[in-house]
Amino acid sequence: MYYPEPLAKLIDSFSKLPGIGPKTAGRLAFQILRMKEDEVVDFAKALVNVKRNLHYCSVCCNITDVDPCRICQDKTRDASCICVVQEAKDLVAIERTKEFNGYYHVLHGAISPMEGIGPDEIYIAELLKRLSDERVQELILATNPNIEGEATAMYLSRLVKPFGLKVTRIAHGLPVGGDLEYADEVTLTKALEGRRELS
Amino acid sequence: MLYRWEGIVIRTTDYGEGHKILTLYTKQAGKQGVIVRGAKKVKSRHTAIAQLFTHGDFAVFKGQSLASLNHGEIIEAHRGLREDLHKAAHASYLAEMMDRLMPDGEPDERMFEQLNAGLTAMEEGKDPAIVNHIMEMKLLALSGYLPQLDECVSCGRTEGPFAFSGAQGGILCKACRFRDPQAKQLPEAVLRLLRVFQRTDLRRLGHVEVKPETKAWLKAVMRDFMDRHLDIRWKARGFLDQLEKYDL
Repeated sequence: MYYPEPLAKLIDSFSKLPGIGPKTAGRLAFQILRMKEDEVVDFAKALVNVKRNLHYCSVCCNITDVDPCRICQDKTRDASCICVVQEAKDLVAIERTKEFNGYYHVLHGAISPMEGIGPDEIYIAELLKRLSDERVQELILATNPNIEGEATAMYLSRLVKPFGLKVTRIAHGLPVGGDLEYADEVTLTKALEGRRELS
Repeated sequence: MLYRWEGIVIRTTDYGEGHKILTLYTKQAGKQGVIVRGAKKVKSRHTAIAQLFTHGDFAVFKGQSLASLNHGEIIEAHRGLREDLHKAAHASYLAEMMDRLMPDGEPDERMFEQLNAGLTAMEEGKDPAIVNHIMEMKLLALSGYLPQLDECVSCGRTEGPFAFSGAQGGILCKACRFRDPQAKQLPEAVLRLLRVFQRTDLRRLGHVEVKPETKAWLKAVMRDFMDRHLDIRWKARGFLDQLEKYDL
């Protein structure tokens, strides 16, 4: 043991985080050592609070400190549309567009045939409960365009068929600012399939 | 060193912020791990080639450690497999079998062709369960556990009826059945199909129509045999069972 115990413990804690090896953990620990005490206390409090005060919204399963979450409490939103996303981070990405004014549902994962993650392991039952609300008319499936996201979207579209809702999938295609020349054939095929008429 | 491999993505694992580690089954170098930097980012050139089941040409740089993708060209995206829940589930099982049963870095061109043909057959709408049973036989043969289906494992008798014994590693005739009280009496059609599976080349697989009860038999026999001899908990199989449970 080259470091005093409290420092070694801190390094060990940092190395539990994804993408942080022992070197980076050491660097971060020494940075903490250089910080002022009140800053370190704030940092420690933030860590504890994130664990103690956050939970899943009882309606949309988003991460929140109040229940229901602020989005679900917002009565100005369009109750006829629910956008289904894989992670809370995806919800933030869509919110940033300022184009969507409906409600969300966070699945906290995706069906993965390869990993054996089935529908029982993600928050689908909570979504089904919400669909009995007569105001809901459309379900937007905004899962990732990879095998897990597609499998989840396919599964959900079959599952909600009896509800008679309009089920839509977000568009796939070229990124804004991208060059057609560098696009791969799968993306281009998707872009061609999803083309629309210009008014 | 720069290498150029023709391969199929049989597994993908997220790595760090936006990277992915692919497991490729390649024609030239067998099973290989390749890191694709930025594969999850929207503007990455490698997003599409880093998708599961993609058959492509991979130009990689490989030193002492994990190979890194420099450039990739898609040969066949096998898109149809990703856009159908059942096909995706069966193809995942096929890919998982290749990932867990094939050794690292040992090229086997014949198995590469079989994997490619298997995925193509599933995409074309051939029964994915049958494709997987044929592949199971091929992988069992490579692992040294191919069931003996031509004659009784105990006395060598070739006339039936036969019962299938996972524990004994093949079929048992009436006289030898006492060797395994758990051996299951096999319907003739099932035994015939199992024998055909042992010899079928997936590249020449035609349209196969099998009755649901025969399929149930095949599934039970192959599962029992695989579990007994390989002792692997197949993740994709758990998913297939869930699909069946919810009748989707």
